[in-house]
Amino acid sequence: MKNKLYLAVLFLVALIVYTACKKEDKIDDPNGGKNGNDFIYDPTPYEFNFPGYFPTILNIPDDNPMTVEGVELGRYLFYDGRLSGRTHPDSLMSCGTCHIQEHAFTTGINHPVYTGGHPFGLTGIPTPQLTMPLVNLVFNNNGYLWNGMIHEDNPNLGSAAYGVEPLPEFHMRNIESLVWMGIVAPHEMYGSVEQTVNLIASIDMYAPKFQAAFGTPEVTYERISKAIAQFIRSLVSFDSRFDKYLRGELQLTEQELHGFVLFSTESGADCFHCHGGAQNPLWTTNLFYNNAKDSVFTSQTDPRDRYAVTGNPKDRGAYKAPTLRNVELTAPYMHDGRFETLEEVIDFYSDQLVYSPYAHSLMHKLPDGGARLNPNEKESLLAFIKSLTDHNFVTNPDFSKPDDLP
Amino acid sequence: MNRLYILVVVMAAFLISCDKDDPIENGNDTKEPTGKIQIHFIHNVDGDPLVTHSMQYTNAAGNEYEIDEVQWFISDVFLHREDGTFYRIEGWKDIHYVDIDIPSTLKWQVFDDIPAGDYSGISFTFGLNEAQNESFKFVNPPESFMFWPTVLGGGYHYLKLNGKWKDTVGATRFFNFHLGIGQEITATDTTYIHNHFEVDFDTSNFTLQEGEKKDVYITMNIENWFKNPHIYDHNVWGGDIMENQAAMAVASENGHDVFSLSFGCCDE
Ligand code: HEC
Ligand code: HEC
Repeated sequence: MKNKLYLAVLFLVALIVYTACKKEDKIDDPNGGKNGNDFIYDPTPYEFNFPGYFPTILNIPDDNPMTVEGVELGRYLFYDGRLSGRTHPDSLMSCGTCHIQEHAFTTGINHPVYTGGHPFGLTGIPTPQLTMPLVNLVFNNNGYLWNGMIHEDNPNLGSAAYGVEPLPEFHMRNIESLVWMGIVAPHEMYGSVEQTVNLIASIDMYAPKFQAAFGTPEVTYERISKAIAQFIRSLVSFDSRFDKYLRGELQLTEQELHGFVLFSTESGADCFHCHGGAQNPLWTTNLFYNNAKDSVFTSQTDPRDRYAVTGNPKDRGAYKAPTLRNVELTAPYMHDGRFETLEEVIDFYSDQLVYSPYAHSLMHKLPDGGARLNPNEKESLLAFIKSLTDHNFVTNPDFSKPDDLP
Repeated sequence: MNRLYILVVVMAAFLISCDKDDPIENGNDTKEPTGKIQIHFIHNVDGDPLVTHSMQYTNAAGNEYEIDEVQWFISDVFLHREDGTFYRIEGWKDIHYVDIDIPSTLKWQVFDDIPAGDYSGISFTFGLNEAQNESFKFVNPPESFMFWPTVLGGGYHYLKLNGKWKDTVGATRFFNFHLGIGQEITATDTTYIHNHFEVDFDTSNFTLQEGEKKDVYITMNIENWFKNPHIYDHNVWGGDIMENQAAMAVASENGHDVFSLSFGCCDE
C-alpha cells in the first residue's frame, strides 16, 4: 500500500518534470535513488531526426509527450486485432487492418478482402470514404480526416449514439480521438471502449509495456489512445528520391526534373499551390479545397465534405488535399476512390476539370478543362510524383507489426 | 528516508533541466522609456469591409469580380523621426504574415520595446526585400505555404490574392493575382526581378508614450491593385501571372496607393 502511494507520488513528480521540461532533450537521470526491485518510471523521450527543411512545429498535445516506450506500446496496440474487444478470429480488427504499411498506411487497391481498396467494418458496413495515409501527421495542425473534423477547436465529447459518454478523454481534437471513434464506429470495429479496455487488460504481455510507457501497469482507455497516437506521430517519412535530391545525395533524371518544373509552375500543371514542393516537403498544405471533380455538390452527394464541418457554403465539395508523398502506393485516389491509377488522376487534372460555383479559385485552369498536358508532359509529371515515394518508410521495421503479436 | 531522497533528486532534476526557460538577464540597466505597438490589418474594397466569395465588386477595367483569399507578407517596418533617424522593428519578428482566414495574423503584436517619443512616419516593405527573400527561410506553416518555386526565382509569394471574375462573355474565370520574384528570360539566360516595393506613410506623425501600447491600423484597399496608374484588366492578364513579369510590374506599380494608415479604428 505504502509502496503504491510512493510510486504514485514518484510518478506524478516525474510526470511534472517531464511535461514541464518537454522542450528539453534530456532529463537528468533520477536513478540515484534506485532501491531494490522498485520500478523506476524513467521513459526515454522520443527523438525525431528529420531533415532541416522540415517544419519544426509539431502537433503533440501537452498531455501526451512522446516516449520510446509509449511509441512501442502504441505499435503493439495499433497492430493487435484484439483492439476490437473480441478474440474470435473473424472479429479481430485493429488500426493496422485498414492502415497497411506497404501502402503508406492506406488499405491498398489490391487488398484480398477489401475489394478495390475500399474497407468495411467488422459487420460489413463500408467506410463512408477511402482510407487516408498515415504519413507525417505530426506536422499537421490543420485538422485530421478528409474534412478536418478532428481539430483542436472541436469542443465535442463522446457520442450518445454509440454510448460513449461526454468525458474529457473522448474528445475530437487530435489523433487520440480516432481510437475511441474507431472502436465504436459501425463501419470499423463496432465495439465498446469498455470491452476493449477489459480485453487488453487481460493480456499478460501488456502489463509491463503499460508500466514502461506510463509508470504503472494499469490499462485505461486514455493510455491506449495516447500510446497509439504516439505511434502514429512517429510515422515520419523523409527519404524519398526527391528528399535525397534535395539533400544533394543523388541527381534526379531529366524526366523527373521536367515533371518537377511542370508541377511547380502555373504555365505547367500548377499543383504546388495545394500540394507543396521542395520548400513544403509535406507535399500538402493540409487545407481543404474543391478540386473541380463534379458539377453538383449537396449534402446528399457530399455528406462528409468540409461544409459538413464549417457550415460555410464555400466549403461544399472541399476535402483535405492529401499528401503526394508516397501517393504511388495509395491507390485508389480521392476521398471516394474514383480514380484507380495516377495516370487517371493526371488525365483528370489535364483535361477533365468540371465547373461548379464551388471550385476553388486556385483551379485557374478550369476554363480550359485543365492543364492540357501532352503525353510526354504527363509522363514526366508521373515520373516526378513517383520520386516522392519513400521505400524506407514502407519497409521500416520500427513501423511494422511486431513479430510476437498473434 | 529513501523516498525523500528520490523526491529531492527529482526536484533537483526539475530545476536544473528547466533553467533554460528562465528569462535571461541581459544586463541592460540603462532603462530608456519604451512603449509597444500593435499593428492591425484591415482589408477593404473601396471603403467597405471585404466580403469574400461573393461576386459583388467591379474594378476600374469594368471586370465584375470576387475575392476569396488574401495572404501576404509585410516586413522592414521602420518608425521614422523628424530628424531623419528611425527605429526598425527587429529580430525574429520583422516579417509578418497576414491571412484573412487566420484571425490571429490580423493583429501583429510587435515584439520589440520601442523607444518612446515623437515619430514622423511609418514605412514598410510590401513582401520581402531581396536579401530576406530566400528559399527555406520559413519551414513552418502557414508561412512555408507561401513559397515561390525555385524555378521561378525562389523565396516566397509577397501576395496571393485569389478570386474569380466574369470574362467578356460572362463566364466565370479564376484569377490568382500572385506577386513575387519575376523572371526575364532571354535565349541565353534568366534574370530575376524583385517586385517588392516600399510603402511610406510620410505624413503619419504620432507620439509613443512610455508604457503605451499603440494601435496602428494598416488597411489594404483591394480595389486599388487594379487601378492607378494602370488599369488592370483580368481579361488582358488572365488567371495566372507568376510567370508574367509585365503583369507583375503593373501590379507593383499599382501597389503604391493600396495601403493606408490610421491610428484609431472602428470595427475590425
Ligand atoms: C475499417 C478501416 C479502418 C480502421 C480499422 C481504422 N481506420 Fe483510420 N481511417 C479509415 C478511413 C476510411 C479514414 C478516412 C476517414 C474519413 O475522413 O472519412 C481513416 C482516417 C484515419 C486518420 C486520419 C488521417 C488524416 O490524415 O487525417 C487517422 C489518424 C486514423 N484513421 C487513425 C486510425 C486509428 C488510430 C485506428 C485504430 C484505432 C484506425 N484509424 C482504424 C479506415 C480505418
Ligand atoms: C486547388 C487545390 C489543388 C490543386 C491545384 C491540385 N490538387 Fe490534387 N488534390 C486536391 C484535393 C482537395 C484533393 C482531394 C480531393 C478529394 O479527395 O475529393 C486532391 C487529390 C489529389 C490526388 C489523390 C491523392 C489521394 O491520396 O487520393 C492526387 C494524386 C493529386 N491530387 C495530384 C495533383 C496534381 C498532379 C496536381 C496538379 C496537376 C494537383 N493535384 C493539383 C487539391 C488540389
